[in-house]
Parts: sequence; C-alpha cells; structure tokens
Amino acid sequence: MIVLHAGFLEDWLLLWGERPVAAEGGESRGLRNTTPRHYVHDAGAAALMEALQGARVAFKPAARHIQELTVWLPTRGEHPVPSSGLIGEEPPEWATETTLAPWSITAYPLLPGEAVELLCLCVGKRTLASGVVVGQDLGYWTTALRFAGSLVARQQYLPGLTREEDGYRARWEPIWDGGDGEALTALARLMPPVARALAGPDLTAPPSISAVSCLRRFVASAVDHLVRSTARRPLRRAPMAGKRQPAFVSVHDAWMYALSSPDGTVYGELEELARLAAQIDEWRRPLAVSATSPVRLCFRLEEPEKQVAPVPQPEGVWFVHYLLQARDDPSLLIPVQQVWKGGRKRITALGGDTARLGEYLLAALGQAAGICPHVEASLKGARPAGHELDTRGAHEFLTEKAMLLEQAGFGVMLPSWWTKKGTKGGLEVRARVKSPDIRASEGLTLETLVQFNWEVALGDAELTKEELETLARLKEPLVRLRGRWVEVNAEEIRAAIALLEKRASGTVRDLVRMTLGGVRPESGLKLSAVKADGWIGQLLERLEGAVAFEEIAIPEGFAGTLRPYQVRGYSWLSFLRRLGLGACLADDMGLGKTVQTLALIQRDWERNGRRPVLLVCPTSVIHNWRKEATRFTPRLPVLVHHGIGRSKGTEFTRAAHGHAVVVSSYALLQRDLAHLQGLAWAGVVVDEAQNIKNPETKQARAARALKADYRVALTGTPVENNVGDLWSIMDFLNPGFLGSRAEFKRTFLVPIQAARDPEAAARLKRLTGPFLLRRLKTDKAIIADLPEKMEMKTFCPLTREQASLYAAVVRDLEGMLESAAGIRRKGAILATLSKLKQVCNHPAHFLGDNSAIPGRSGKLTRLTEMLEEIMEVGDRALVFTQFAEMGKILQGYIQETFGREILFLHGAVPQHQRERLVERFQREDGPPVFVLSLKAGGTGLNLTRANRVFHFDRWWNPAVENQATDRAFRIGQRRNVQVHKFVCAGTLEEKIDEMIARKQELAEKVVGTGEGWLTELSNKEISEIFTLREEAIGGI
Amino acid sequence: MRFWDYYRGGFYQPSQPRQVKGGIKAQTRQGAFAKSWWAKRWIAVLESFNIGARLGRGKRYAREGQVVAIEIEKGLITAVVQGSRAEPYRVEIGVRTLSGRDWKRLAEALGKQAIFTARLLAGEMPENIEEAFQSVGLSLFPHRRADLKTECSCPDWSNPCKHIAAVYYLVGEEFDRDPFLMFKLRGMEREQLVALVSGQRSRKGGSGGRVATRAPRVESVEAPASGPELLASEPRAFWGEPRGIDPGGADVRIPAVSAALPRRLGNFPFWRGEEGFLTSLEVIYRQASPIGLRIFLGDSGEE
Repeated sequence: MIVLHAGFLEDWLLLWGERPVAAEGGESRGLRNTTPRHYVHDAGAAALMEALQGARVAFKPAARHIQELTVWLPTRGEHPVPSSGLIGEEPPEWATETTLAPWSITAYPLLPGEAVELLCLCVGKRTLASGVVVGQDLGYWTTALRFAGSLVARQQYLPGLTREEDGYRARWEPIWDGGDGEALTALARLMPPVARALAGPDLTAPPSISAVSCLRRFVASAVDHLVRSTARRPLRRAPMAGKRQPAFVSVHDAWMYALSSPDGTVYGELEELARLAAQIDEWRRPLAVSATSPVRLCFRLEEPEKQVAPVPQPEGVWFVHYLLQARDDPSLLIPVQQVWKGGRKRITALGGDTARLGEYLLAALGQAAGICPHVEASLKGARPAGHELDTRGAHEFLTEKAMLLEQAGFGVMLPSWWTKKGTKGGLEVRARVKSPDIRASEGLTLETLVQFNWEVALGDAELTKEELETLARLKEPLVRLRGRWVEVNAEEIRAAIALLEKRASGTVRDLVRMTLGGVRPESGLKLSAVKADGWIGQLLERLEGAVAFEEIAIPEGFAGTLRPYQVRGYSWLSFLRRLGLGACLADDMGLGKTVQTLALIQRDWERNGRRPVLLVCPTSVIHNWRKEATRFTPRLPVLVHHGIGRSKGTEFTRAAHGHAVVVSSYALLQRDLAHLQGLAWAGVVVDEAQNIKNPETKQARAARALKADYRVALTGTPVENNVGDLWSIMDFLNPGFLGSRAEFKRTFLVPIQAARDPEAAARLKRLTGPFLLRRLKTDKAIIADLPEKMEMKTFCPLTREQASLYAAVVRDLEGMLESAAGIRRKGAILATLSKLKQVCNHPAHFLGDNSAIPGRSGKLTRLTEMLEEIMEVGDRALVFTQFAEMGKILQGYIQETFGREILFLHGAVPQHQRERLVERFQREDGPPVFVLSLKAGGTGLNLTRANRVFHFDRWWNPAVENQATDRAFRIGQRRNVQVHKFVCAGTLEEKIDEMIARKQELAEKVVGTGEGWLTELSNKEISEIFTLREEAIGGI
Repeated sequence: MRFWDYYRGGFYQPSQPRQVKGGIKAQTRQGAFAKSWWAKRWIAVLESFNIGARLGRGKRYAREGQVVAIEIEKGLITAVVQGSRAEPYRVEIGVRTLSGRDWKRLAEALGKQAIFTARLLAGEMPENIEEAFQSVGLSLFPHRRADLKTECSCPDWSNPCKHIAAVYYLVGEEFDRDPFLMFKLRGMEREQLVALVSGQRSRKGGSGGRVATRAPRVESVEAPASGPELLASEPRAFWGEPRGIDPGGADVRIPAVSAALPRRLGNFPFWRGEEGFLTSLEVIYRQASPIGLRIFLGDSGEE
C-alpha cells in the first residue's frame, strides 16, 4: 500500500509517497533545525518506482533523479500526523497541540511530460492499481492540469520571454483575462496545503507561497509544456554554430525556435534579448489596457416598441445600447452617457477614476468600430450612447456581429427569445402520421412502413403554402408574427415549400427516432413534433413517457410475487421488447433487477415460441442467476455455459435450443463468440452492463455482435451520469440510435462535458430516456413498496484452487471418520467444518500463509463488485465474518482496492478504541465499509450509518446473524436495510442452508446449540453434506 | 568613384549588395507596401519625390533584409543598411516636429469627435484625421520636401537613395501596426498624446478628473499576485478531504478562428524571422487546441 502525493516546488512537480509501515531503519536520528528527521511513513525510492510501474506509466522514471526533500507536516510533539488511517494512527489529540514541522522524504521530480501522463492516468481515480492510492494533493493537480488544458483548448495564451538567472527562456504564458482569473482564484482555494508543503533546505519556517501563486505557476508550466510539445516539430532545424549553441540569423528566429525546443532557452546576446523582451511587452500592451480595466464594454440589443399587427411585420427601429459593466459585479451596468457626463457617483461604483474609464471606453469603442461599422458611424458624434439598426441590421447583429464582439472580449446582451435555445422561432416541421389499419398492436414491428404528411409552422401557427410564399416575397430575415419575433431564411422557406409538396414514408423505427429527436428530416429543417393517431400515436406517447404504459399480468409460470414497482419495471421491459427495442434497467442494487428480468424471459418464452435467451454476467454471479431462475421460474430450463466441460459447436447449439436460458460469463463471451454468434437468440441480457461500457474492449464488441430479437442491459450504477459510458451500452441496446461513436463524441460528449451545453444534454436525455429505467431505493414510490429489511442470499462460485483445497479437506475427514469415534469424531467434524468455511472464504485464510489475495476467492470477488457499486452510490456497509483472520484480510484487500480507509473491529480491540471506531463510522464523512468479527461486533453497537449488511460467512444461527444485522437496523435508521448472506454454491454452506430451510425442527436445534448438531449426524449424512457438488467449481 | 564607375561601364550599373542574414525583412512579399491608408500616405510622400528606379531597388532591399536595424525617436529615424560595401551605411530621416502650441490646438480639434480618440486608442488611425489637422492649419504627414531631412552615408548622389527608400518602406510597414509612431515622429509620445486628447475630452465633459499618464504595465495581465499564505496545520485540512473538484472556468470550445489573441495584437514589430510571425503562431494554436481539449476531458486519447 502506498499513498502517492505530489507537491509543486520551484516549477517542479515532485512525486512522493506514504506507506503504512516504517521503512527498515527508517527513523534516523537528526537534530532539529539542522537536518530534518526522516518521516517514518516515507515510502522511499524503491516503493515509488514500483508504484509508477504498477500504474503502468509509459515513461521510464529515472531513479537517479530521486532526491531527499523536506516536507512540512502537521506534527504533535514528536509525531507527524499521517494523511489517513490507511497509513497509520493519528497521534492522540490531547497529547499536545498540532504544529508544522519539517520532515525529510524521498521525492521523484517529474518531467513536464511525465507529470502530464501521470496526472491524466489519475483523472477520476482513487487508486492507480491495487494498493496504489491517489492522494488528495495528487488528485488536485489532475484538476489543475485539466484547467490548463481548457486554457490551451480556448487559446488563452501568448508567446513570451522570461528572464531567468542563467539567461532568457521562451515560454507560452497563460493570459488571465476576466473569468479565468476568477476561476484560478476559486480553484486555488481548494488546494490542499500539502500540495505546497515541500521545501528546500531552509528549515527556519514552513513554505509560505500562496495557493494562488503556486497554482498559477503550475498551470503556467503545464500550458507551456502542452503548447510546446505540440509545436515540437520544430518550425525549422536549428543551425548549429560551434559545439553547443545553435546560431540563428535573427533573434526572432531564435525566439521562435526556443518556443518549440524542449527547454526553451533562447540563444543570443543578452543585450539583444533584453530588447526583444521589451518589444514583446510593447506588442502585448493593448491587451494589458483592457485586461486591467475594472469594466468592460457591453452592447445591448433592444427591440423596437411593441406593436401588434395581424400580418408579418418586418419594420421597426432597433437600438444597440452601449453600457459599461463592472468586471467584479456583472450585474452592475451603467449606460455610457454617464461616463461622458462624468457622473461621479455611479462611476465610483464601477471602481475606476473617470479619466481612466473614459480612456478605456474610447479604446474599446475604437476596437469595436473595427468589427462593426455601425459603431464606427456612431463615433462621429462626440458622445455616442449607442446606434440604431433596421431589421436587417438587427439580424446581422444577432447572427454575426454579436459573436465577433463577444470573441473580442466585449459583453453582448441579446433579447431572450434569441438566446434561449429552442425559442428562436423559425420554421418548424411536423410529421403527421396516419396509422395503417392494423387492428391489434400484435402484428406491428418497428419495420412496418407508414405514410406521413409534413406540416410547416412558424411559432404556434401552421402555415399554408401560400403564406410561405408571401414570407418568401418579404425577403426579411426577421419577422414579427403575432407579437413575437421569428427568424426566417429564404432557404428554409424554399425547403419548406418543397417539403409540403411531397408525401413521405418511413418505418416505425424512423418515426421513433424522429420523435425522440435523433434525426432531422433531410431538408435540414427543425422537426418539432411527430403527430400520430391510432396505435402509432399511442406507441410514441408511451415511449416518450407522456402516457403510462399499461401494466401487464405476471406470466403464468412465474413462481413468486412482484412488488408494485417491479410489475411496472417488468411491464416496461415487455413493452420495449414487443417493439424490439433495447432496454437498460438500472435500478439500485437490491431492488430486484433479476426477478423483473426473469419475469420478462418467462413471458416471452410462453408467448413467442420457445427460443433461448443468452444471459451474460460476471463469473461471480452465474450461480446466483441459476439459483434465482430455479426459484422464480422453475419451468424454464437453464443451461450454465461455463467451465472446462462446456459444450461447443453444434453440440452447444443443440443444447442451447433445449433451454430457455443460457447463462455465461463475459470471459466466455469473447472466447466462445464463434459459437454464441451462430444462434438466433430470442434475447440477450447483459448483467452488470458496466462491463461493456468501454466500446473498445473485446467483450463490448462481442456483445454488439450477437443476434437477438431483444436486448436488455442491467446495471446498478448510475450510467446516465457518465455521458462517455452511455454510448457503448446504448449502441448495444439500440444500434445506431446515437449515431457512430465519432458522431456521438462530436454532438454529445464534447458539447456536454466541455462546453456544458444544456441543449445537448437535454437532447441526449430525450433520446436515451425511453430506454433507461432507474429507480432508487430512496424514491418515495419505491420506499412505500419496500420492507424495512430485505434479506437475500448471494450465491458465489469457488475458484479452481478453492475447489481442490476443499476436496482435499473432505478426503482427510473421510479417512478420520472411519477410525475415530466419540469426542475425537466430534472434534474432527467441527474442525473440518471450520476448515471448509475457511476454504470457502479464501485460500489464504485457510492456508494462513500471507499469500496473495486477488483473484482466488469467488466470495471476495463478488463482495468487491458489490462494494464498488455501493460506494459509487454513496451507501455504507457492514461486513461480518466469524473469523478475525478473515476480517484482517478483508480490511487489507478492500483498502488496497478502493484506496479508502476501512475500519475493522475484532475481539482484541480495547474498549475505548471501539468507541472511537464506532464514532468514526457514524460520522458524515466516515469510512464506507466497516468489517466486524461476529463475536466482537455482533452486539451492543449502534451503526445506523450503514444500510447494507454482508454476512461474508455463515453461522447458521439466525438469532446470532439477526443480532448482528440489527447493528444497522436500529432506532435512528431511516433507510431500508439490505442484508446479503454469502453462500458458496454446491458447498456445505449451501447444503446446510437448504437443510435448515427444509426442516423446521432442525432450525430450532440450531438456535439452541449452534453448530454442535452436525456432529450428531451419521457418517453418510456428514459425507453428503460436506462433499462438493459438481457445479460448484466456477473455474474462475 | 562614381565618376569612374560611370565611365568604365559606359552606363550606370547598380552594385550588388552584400547578403545579410537576420536583417529586417518586409512582411509584404510582393505588391504594394503597407495596407493601412495612413501607411500608404507615408509611402506616397516618398514616391512623390521622383527618384526613379531607386524606389524599386529600395523595395527589394527592404524585402531582402538589407536593413539591419531601425530606431525611431521623436523627429528622427536612424537606421543601418547593408549595401555593397563591407561597412554598412547609416541612414537618417528627420521629420519636422510640431510645437507644443500646435499640439494643443490639435487636441481641441480632435476632441470634437469621439472617433478620433477611440480609433487612436484602439491602435488605428482615424480615417479623416487629416481634416482635424487641416482645420487648425496643420498636417500630420510630412508632405513637402522641407518636412523631411534625409541623409545616407552611401556614395550615391541621389537623395533619397535606395537605402533611404528601403528604410522608408519598412517604417511605412511599421505604421500599419502602430499609428502612434507617426505621432512620435511628429514629436508626441503615445502616452502624452493619449493624455492630451482624453484630458481634453474629460475637461470638456466637465469632470476635470485626473488624467492617466501611464499605460498599465504588461505584467498586470497576470492574475492578481498574492502575498505569503501560511499552511494550515490542522491535519484534515492539511491533507485535504476527498471530494471531486471541477476545474471551473469558462465553457470549453475550440475557437472557430485560431490565434485570436495574437491576431488582436497584430504583427510583431520589425519582424526578422524566416517565417511569418502570425502564420507560424496560427499553426501552433490550431494544433494545440484539440490536445488541450483532450486533456480537459481527461481523455486517454483513444478515438
């Protein structure tokens, strides 16, 4: 475990790390104020290099550059306070007050390119690899780098020349104009102090560089690097004179060359370079004038007086008003007349002296005059307040000048009907569809061809062809129609007239896409609505959510009941299935995505001919699916396509056709694609659909390659929040709906994430909304349907290693049973029971050998997957185990995987510490997971922050388990609590579980005696319980 | 020497200048020098002097970078030009400056229309500024022989010679960028002129406010600098708390027109680079934008 930190010192980003245990002989004794003592948790050079390797950086870090540095850390007495509980315990607070003290650490200076690469890897991540945790400061620099990226994208920088000790350097310098200066200050406020706590050899006082300066220097060096590396194909090769210095014919060439050279050194005579620096200043001067002004010039377009006329009105006089706007308070606007008059009071409010304001105003108007001839004309007077425009001029201002003025840094205020997206008026097209005469909806498919007519409207009014021709004759770009200004252009009018003259046809699928805004009619006109009556109308309304779709009966063969919201979900799935449209069910974990899906499969099986459905899921949940299918849809034959013995080719095809559901894993989806692809599946369901969110991965490609009548994606993570992930899942569900990946990137991803375009976001939502259903357990309508406590079993597979260990333990026991009797027999049985449980938990638990953890236990894999989902939605969990050793393994592994501190309470924790752990978990920002041993944590504690409880292994005593569960389910708990009991399928865990469920008297016995009853069983029964069922092996 | 040259060849043959590296090269590669009307006016004065083929040679000198250095002071341009001899020639162009009283009268005339000050402050020459000059009986551009005093250390008997012409053309090009140079030649620095005209205006406006005499320093384009700031010692604040941060700032769009900032500032004064200044910058700005966008989006780079 290593927590990576990064500090910025003298234009270098320095990487260092913390780790939990003190390095060997780490604490060196040094005198304070001479050499700082070594920080006990310093990760050291080897660990840093290892972490970079683990993070898979492409660069080769040069270990020789590693150096000792000083970092000032919060310190109590002699003890530095580590960054979090992941690293070490905080020294007690009462001991002494906290001050900053210098400590020595090992740091690796990142070259600019290395820093960019590493920071890009860290975006949005808590860990770079298992056990490599991204510290808050390192995470902060990723945000700062993104900020630098935005400056480069928006081209807010200029070439410059800076004087340094050893000469001049050419640099690309960010320009902190208006909004960016504010953003910089705002971002600086969020900088964690550790990011600027590195220091040089001066140990008299901690570094005092301000966060703003620190951030500004970082961003400046990042911008310089990004632009420089773009320009790296040097403008031209440097001519070489002598050995080292390139010789240039002019200092300007030297400067240009240095702007793209790796280190930016400008070669030349100092005196000449100083002159160049002065010239650069001179060149940049106009920018300085406007950047330092406390105000900016704004142009406000004002409409002509309102007049209501029945016919389209092109006339009217518009006015562009000149105003000054305070930069620090954009709501403060002052007409320029005030400045001409020198109205002192309001001008003082703008924060400048009159003469300076006058100078700025005139300079600004002068610049604007170059862009806009009307401004120039107005300046013929001594004190212009604005200028008039006719309608044509107003249209030109709206469509061209406004943008140019804005780009030049002026403020522009336009009427709201223009700026508000979608209210601009303009011609709109509607499609009117007459449903073909198909009596029931049964026969309809998306490919059904339908006829429709086009209608053209301006604003709310439908226009006839004659009216359109009148408009065309007016030849005005802006027309006031019934009191509202609308933009029309001749080309649109021509296209509309042409459209009215023809009839159109298309498939229902085309109509659906048109309704949802996915396509435009070929004319390029805006499509405002698809109006349809009959069944197509109903269909479209339901799809848009305007009308509730009808709830349908639970299929006959479905054993079990559905909660009301599950009936709605199942009906929704069936509705889309009927249309052959893909559906993404993204309900919160625990709301029953599985049963809703099974109900759909059952219904489809009953009604649409018996063809198999392919269900793809992570290996860890294969058994769960099989179990749930047996329970809820007992009449559906299920085939698990997994493991070494799985069938292939025609044999597989034949086998698949005999089953209703074929369950397989993502791993096999790619490996066996050839076999899976050959079948015409009734449906394909992908569970944990986040597995295909990256469209480049093999499993995502494979999923898209399958042929099926309907497709369903299940996920518990909020996919709709991540625009980038949405495309792959949607393209699996409804191929082509969101366009190609490149199109999607251009029309949705970049506008939404970079330009924060609300219209694109709304369009995407409209386009995907009908195919996405996500209910949260906190939704009011859902809460009413949910019990306060829900218990469910989670069936996990064994890995191959677990299975062979398991078999070996059982063989040992069988030998013993034949010879032993009495106490020895009892002891052997109980010992074996315990060993088998350990094997089910984790091989390392059973072996007790501190061996590696990842990938060796089915249960742990499943727990990790579920915790990931839980943390993503911000829930908290308790994990109970009856073994303290397992608890330790869990704590360590979960910490390493998620990079977050995980609490662990076991028998050896002293009382006062327990209270602290509980208090910490209950805090608003406490750790997300609390691991407890059943004995130590089963009673007395109040842990109502948790709304998820896991029983990692079983005690089979409901009373004990319930007591533990009730830690979360107590007074003060306001949410539903979900309890997940982990069971390894095919092992004694499952068999004992089944026995207890079957035999009531046994259940009572269990409550009385714990696990002692097992010893009373016959050898044969014991053997039956302990022996592994064939299916148990997951072959993970 | 001229005499012998003349007779030996039987006709006048222009000598070949020595090649110069890193001289000031005219930005206009062909056609007329100078784009703005005011620079054209300046050049028109030179061309009215009837010096024949020397004009063309001067142009060629200007384009080939024979002029090694130019300095502009009040009323005087000095330059160094590499000719055919090893020793470069020194060129001086003197311009008659206006008196303080003239300037005052002029400021009054300029104050009558906002356009004059506005344009000047924006770095452009107001179109009809000559009218304002004429209204008080003055002229901004030298138009008589007597307004200019030209001298060159070359042996050519003609004045202006091709060396003077070359310098003259380059200065004309420089006027494109900075019209204030013309005022400087006429004896008025930029700051003084701004103070004069805007002071005139605000007095007329009745405010009587203090007149800014100094343009802000360029460094102030940087974000407000800040003093020392102590580190927090409270551990949780010090190490930072987990939270997602947005970089903030403006909406990120790749601009339709590249290199808007340098374009706004215009060409570099007396550019002597091999490649055009703005052209080189534009390429870099255009290529850097998508990379910046990718970094902003936290994109690993797959397409």
